[in-house]
Amino acid sequence: MASVLAPPRPKSYDDTFFKPISLWLTTTDHKLIGIMYMTTGMLAFVLGGILALVMRIQLAQPNLKVIDAETYNQLLSAHGTTMIFFFVTIFMTGVANYMVPILIGARDMAFPRVNLLGFWLIPMSIAIYYAGFFTGGAMDAGWTGYPPLSTKQFNPGLGVDLWAFSLILWCVSGIMASVNFLTTIVALRAPGMKFSRLPLFVWAQISTSILLLAVGAPLAAALFLLELDRQAGTTFFASNGGRPVLFQHLFWFFGHPEVYILILPGFGMVSEIVPVFARKPIFGYTSMVAALFGIVFLSMAVWAHHMFTVGMNIYVETWFMVMTMLIAVPTGIKFFNWIATAWGGSIDFQVPMKYVFGFMATFLIGGITGVYLSSVPVDTQLHQSYYVVAHFHYVMVGGSVFTLLAGTQYWFPKITGRMLNKTLGEWSFWLFFVGFNGTFLVMHTLGLEGMARRIYSYPGGFGEEGWGATNMFITVFSFVIAASVLVFIYNLVVSWKHGPPAGDDPWGGNTLEWATTSPPPPYNFDKVPVVRSNMPLRDMRADGLRPPLEHQALASHNS
Amino acid sequence: MRGQPWLRRALISLPLVALLGMTLATAASAAEGGGSGLSPIVPKGNSPNGRHIYDLYLGISIPAILIFLLVEGLLLTVIIRFRRSRQPKDYQPPQWHGHRLLEIGWTAGPLLIVFFIGLFSFITLQRDYTAAASDNPDVDIHVVGHQYGWDYTYPEGFTVSSEGLQPTPLVIPTGKLVRLRLDSKDVIHGFWVPDLAGKADLVPGYQNLMWFKVDRPGEWRGECTELCGQGHYTMQIRVKAVSDADYEAFKRTSLEAKAKAGAPSPSTAPSPSAAPSPSAAPSGSPGASPGAGASPSPRPSGTGYSPTGQGASSS
Repeated sequence: MASVLAPPRPKSYDDTFFKPISLWLTTTDHKLIGIMYMTTGMLAFVLGGILALVMRIQLAQPNLKVIDAETYNQLLSAHGTTMIFFFVTIFMTGVANYMVPILIGARDMAFPRVNLLGFWLIPMSIAIYYAGFFTGGAMDAGWTGYPPLSTKQFNPGLGVDLWAFSLILWCVSGIMASVNFLTTIVALRAPGMKFSRLPLFVWAQISTSILLLAVGAPLAAALFLLELDRQAGTTFFASNGGRPVLFQHLFWFFGHPEVYILILPGFGMVSEIVPVFARKPIFGYTSMVAALFGIVFLSMAVWAHHMFTVGMNIYVETWFMVMTMLIAVPTGIKFFNWIATAWGGSIDFQVPMKYVFGFMATFLIGGITGVYLSSVPVDTQLHQSYYVVAHFHYVMVGGSVFTLLAGTQYWFPKITGRMLNKTLGEWSFWLFFVGFNGTFLVMHTLGLEGMARRIYSYPGGFGEEGWGATNMFITVFSFVIAASVLVFIYNLVVSWKHGPPAGDDPWGGNTLEWATTSPPPPYNFDKVPVVRSNMPLRDMRADGLRPPLEHQALASHNS
Repeated sequence: MRGQPWLRRALISLPLVALLGMTLATAASAAEGGGSGLSPIVPKGNSPNGRHIYDLYLGISIPAILIFLLVEGLLLTVIIRFRRSRQPKDYQPPQWHGHRLLEIGWTAGPLLIVFFIGLFSFITLQRDYTAAASDNPDVDIHVVGHQYGWDYTYPEGFTVSSEGLQPTPLVIPTGKLVRLRLDSKDVIHGFWVPDLAGKADLVPGYQNLMWFKVDRPGEWRGECTELCGQGHYTMQIRVKAVSDADYEAFKRTSLEAKAKAGAPSPSTAPSPSAAPSPSAAPSGSPGASPGAGASPSPRPSGTGYSPTGQGASSS
């Protein structure tokens, strides 16, 4: 379909995927950098998933010895670090890198070369972390790396140093990206794109960037102090005179907001996807933005709820408990606003929308178990048990991963110019939904019954006999997740090459990315669009600049 | 339209998932806490503080289940009622941009709910989590964690050491307030016996306190809950509650065993004259000397992490 806004693209840009390697290595185009971020994230997802599968095989039955305990500890540390730092954050940064400039009608990020440097720090960071596996043992003290276990005395190997150095680089990269996003959004908006008209995904990116800017440096500082303890003999955290718990405070001052760094972009994606497929404007735009900033503020005041068992003053614990519970309020606002957006709509349950509803159905469980965990007395039972493992997977997979899969399904046509195969999309969604719930639902009950997390094996013989069956159940379903991810990636790869052409606007979108071609030309827009509302595409349709929705070739016919 | 088969699948799968959850829950309640891994609720503690956690868990479950049902119900309604294939051909969705009153409603509603959850949690917190420090315990046991095991030093001066997958029980009397002073020799550990009460960390550098008042004889399992190294999973715990008479007998035999072991008791370091060098830290646990201040104060300095210290306590 001929685009009204964009004339035919330069020939050199026709196929984003098959470019000379030199272009990939040196490009400052936010879109190509975004694709590289996303690819890196997806590879990390596969890697972290394989680590998880090995752990699940080890845990399938009591007293198995598939791998040894030391390897198990390395795997659990690598799984956590990979999924949190190298998969979700990086993938989300990639989506934002690709989409934010287009959504605000800009030609590129504000600092393209900083963007390039920031990206290339990530593969370095991953390589440094994984180098541990080839230098006598990777990090084995958990992704949290609490001292004294991570001090030289108890962990003389190189693994902890590589972990710390890797994450310091990651922080630097994250800070660069955050500054870049904020500057881009403040300075490069298209004419008429007031803050009150920003797409909610862009608002989510603003709040994410503020968070990462605020808490990235403390993490880097904590790791730097830990390295001083290890290499220079200081005693910030070492048990001989230092305060091990101080590290936990610094770590979780980063670590809890990090959860929101992972989920807020996902919230933004949901806020973009629901209105498009329901054919309704977002419900309560202002309260959506307010809720984002409520979460930003509260998330920096709750970190010690990860530490309710270290022995704090109960009034301090009460503060953190109340703040934690309050986060349910802005999250609830977002939830009800999404439901109200869909309510009364004419909803087309395309695959992205299914992922969105899968997200709401599962993330809700993570949110509710979060309220149980925030209650200090209850937490002293549940902390460090499989209940917590279930909880944060419901939050991070049920939240972040479902939404980023939704976002990928939603924006794939824009990024590649081709539609994903719908049947494969349905398969990947249902396998993921069933596999995920099968894997993590019964982890709650295991934890309630007293199975601690991060254990290499469970002995059986004193009331734990029955755990074998439950754990086997979990292991089987974890392979259903793996199958789903394989289907998903197969779909990405095959459709990128062979999918039916998507056209500029396959879903009937509301925001500016659908005003340009798929994939967009190097500078996104041949003519800078002018924005009159927070649904500029609607205005264009009303003005006759775009074909009206009724005539839109909807993706359902493209499968 | 593609909507219909999907609708059928949604209608089948979602209840299936719910059904699965319910089957698991019933199976678990049928198993009556018998190690099925399917318990739908925290253990009903055999100590008042554990039981208060159980009550609190039940209390939180009321709004939690209601909200769960409400929101999942709304989602299912949206999925079923508002799909495009079920709407009239020329249906134009209403273009609502918001509704002040509704938005205030679903801000205030959750606020009210978490206020009450917070209040009840705080009441439990204040009642059960200060008791250990202020009350005068009947039995005051010093628990020292190390890689990978536990030393329980009783007020009478003897120490029970436990290591490995078949742990030696921590023997406590029923009906008495038992206080544990938790301490670590090396890295952070966590002490958790789910059937009694919550957990507390053993952090090197200061003491944490926890307490039980077990109301019936029994034996319960537990484990270390803070990743502490390769042998973390072997740091199993057993707690055995016995009657007063049995407890007296246990103390007697333990003291006799200690006396039989000779002057250098198993729980303390060799006497100063036998120490090979003055630099050897006094590695006996502070609790070994009865009468030492039981207040939660930082440990005396010089708690060495020397291999000799660990060797002495585990021998």
